[in-house]
Amino acid sequence: MATTLIINGETKSFEAPPDMPLLWVLRDILGMTGTKFGCGIAQCGACTVHVDGKAVRSCVLPVGAVTNRAVTTIEHVGSTPAGAKVQKAWLDAEVIQCGYCQSGQIMSAAALLAATPHPDDSDIDAAMAGNICRCGTYVRIREAIKQAANGRQS
Amino acid sequence: MSGKMRILTSLVVIAIVAVALGIFIVRGPGPLDFAGGTKVALADYRAGKPTGVPAKLEKASLVERGEYLAKAADCMVCHTKPGEKDYSGGLAFKLPFGTLYSTNITPDKDTGIGNYSDQDFLNAVQHGKRRDGARLYPAMPYTSYTFMTDEDVLAVKAYLFSLPAVRAKAPDNTLSFPFNQRWAMIAWSAVFNPDTRFAPDTSKSPEWNRGAYLAEALAHCGECHTPRNLGFALDNRKKFAGAITTGWRAFNISSDKATGLGNWSDADLISYLSLGHAPGHGAASGPMGEAVDHSFSQFAPEDIRAVVAYLRSVPPQPSPDLPATTAPVAPASHKDGVTADARGKMLFAGACASCHGWSGESPVSPMATLTGTWAVNDPAATNVAQIVLSGTKRHTPDDALSMPAFGEAYTDDEIAAVANYVTARFGAKGSKLTAKDVAGLRKQTAE
Repeated sequence: MATTLIINGETKSFEAPPDMPLLWVLRDILGMTGTKFGCGIAQCGACTVHVDGKAVRSCVLPVGAVTNRAVTTIEHVGSTPAGAKVQKAWLDAEVIQCGYCQSGQIMSAAALLAATPHPDDSDIDAAMAGNICRCGTYVRIREAIKQAANGRQS
Repeated sequence: MSGKMRILTSLVVIAIVAVALGIFIVRGPGPLDFAGGTKVALADYRAGKPTGVPAKLEKASLVERGEYLAKAADCMVCHTKPGEKDYSGGLAFKLPFGTLYSTNITPDKDTGIGNYSDQDFLNAVQHGKRRDGARLYPAMPYTSYTFMTDEDVLAVKAYLFSLPAVRAKAPDNTLSFPFNQRWAMIAWSAVFNPDTRFAPDTSKSPEWNRGAYLAEALAHCGECHTPRNLGFALDNRKKFAGAITTGWRAFNISSDKATGLGNWSDADLISYLSLGHAPGHGAASGPMGEAVDHSFSQFAPEDIRAVVAYLRSVPPQPSPDLPATTAPVAPASHKDGVTADARGKMLFAGACASCHGWSGESPVSPMATLTGTWAVNDPAATNVAQIVLSGTKRHTPDDALSMPAFGEAYTDDEIAAVANYVTARFGAKGSKLTAKDVAGLRKQTAE
């Protein structure tokens, strides 16, 4: 069945059943492998993308549910103001260790800053709790989000 | 007659009258008695055709008609164990007094119903009597199916016999005494099975009669939504007032304005039944999700409308434990609103917020919106805990969202905490579930 999505500002059409998870479409059909598969049950956050600007887990999201809604992925988030700030802060603070979860972390952080430009610790907890990092980069993630919000380097 | 004999006779008569009165009181009215109009035999009803299949299938083969009716009666869900072949039985019903297993109703001659004659099949479906003469337990809703016409029952048989025979023997039931005495069901059936075919009500519209047939004889709504009496039969004095079945709460579907369907629009009801979701009312999950996926979503549109017309006519029954109105949307920020249960909030942030949002309005899909649902507005939090435990897997519509099961990942204590947080934040009144309550719910859930 032909499906049309608006991904990163571009309209893309492809063949996929409507109950296929958005993540599969991104990675396997469109070849956009920046978004990662982690747990497959919306519990680790590695697959986070934005739908209408909000952070959602693409691994459990049927593609039929996002037709005609704006999807943003890690490949494009740098062109949003919040995403650009987050990516810069991530590099400045050397957040990344193995990196597998980080595209999801960045997507959640960018959605947080777009909605709450100056988050406190509890805001960061509430927004980032669903993104898990096995390397334990949480301290640096928190620091980088604060840097991105304040526009300063530590 | 001597004085002694007279006293003895009087005592016997009084005892018989008392028992008869007791049975009469416990049994209460039949499922359609509320309508009160004049009933006529189906053959004498000229205003419409309440039984059988919708017009588009009138000319279809017997097997196709049977398929529609089998789906309308939702045979498959109970007669299929998850992961096994359709209709091959073996689904466990965990009851307080043991476990019952559904039977294989594929045409396998040894383990299924391959040897059933038409009369054998009618006996089972309408009278609760197995081919070998043993009585069925009322987990098989034959007290509802008894209203089906012979023609419709036999169409279902033709459909079942058109399916591949599956060799599958269900495990033996593990009911404790006295519930393992099948013969006792003879008495139960004599009291509680109306054992009568559907009789149209001439004071009602043809659409209502069609809806009554679909809802009572086929869809057997009351089996979950009507509370049970002392004899574990449906108490139609409280028809559709809601009840707990297999650990899930089947909510009030009477016409009560506050806690029933009285304030639902026709469009909401049609959407809920045919798609399993209605804006502002949430999505069907658990047993109702299955009923939508396998049964209501297959109904012809005119049949859905008939069921809605019928539901509208059921007298209001209040649910006093539910709030008069559901809670509005919660604040968008996690900081505002109820945050009494810190542990529940922590779990919600990690496991739930990405799909359900902090306001209760899902950023993902209206099917995941919590605001307005009875589940989060039920101060007992039964269905919230159940959905967290077992997740929801919906098959219709195509873009339906499913939710992972958390029962294996979280302890009873954690599930109680998150349910208490969710009902406090998104509902009218927070629940006070304990780990023990959650353990109890785990036990009641069917497979």
